[in-house]
Amino acid sequence: MTELNEEERKKILESAPVGTWALMVTVGISMVIGWLFLYYGVFLSRGIIN
Amino acid sequence: MHIDPLEKKWAQISVGICALFVGIIMIDALFHSVNAPSNVETINSATLHLSEEFSEDNLGVQVDAEGNIFVRMVAGRYSFFPKKVTVPADTKITFRWVSIDVLHGVHIPMTNMSTMIVPGFVAEVESSFPKPGDYPVLCNEYCGLGHDHMWSKIDVVEKDQWIAPQTSSTGAAE
Repeated sequence: MTELNEEERKKILESAPVGTWALMVTVGISMVIGWLFLYYGVFLSRGIIN
Repeated sequence: MHIDPLEKKWAQISVGICALFVGIIMIDALFHSVNAPSNVETINSATLHLSEEFSEDNLGVQVDAEGNIFVRMVAGRYSFFPKKVTVPADTKITFRWVSIDVLHGVHIPMTNMSTMIVPGFVAEVESSFPKPGDYPVLCNEYCGLGHDHMWSKIDVVEKDQWIAPQTSSTGAAE
């Protein structure tokens, strides 16, 4: 692994964490889609219990 | 208290997702009557065998005068009685469950059947089976050492191959 100089290190730390954001959005969207599928596609489609 | 901005954003997203889920459930509960099982009907669990509806002869499948199909089942440690019933596929069936001893639950995979069977109460659930086949009936409330052996079976046949049983002379299906 190459050593980072101070300038490169500062640039990385101050830039937007694109990878982290991508991971957060992917996890969030996947969770919402999964929940909606289970709720509307499985739970409600099998019939309401009252 | 310092909270990292990224952590704060992720917390906001998490709360937003939870609010979305709760909002959908609330809207369906308030405007589309999607509720937890709420049939409140009491029965004396100690004298089920003497009751007209859940006496041994009336258990299983019955069809009332209007053609509605009822299935009456008794849950007791460690089985559901009768052990096997045959019903038609793709047809509305009203299940009525009672317990003779402790708290039980019932779950039939691939259907909406999932409810508690509380001693002293009748659990009534309308269900249907999309395809013919054998469906297991499983207890999903821990009821004792034999809980994991507590099961029964529902044999689902094509609608045109199903033969309706004779309605009981006690008229319990009404």
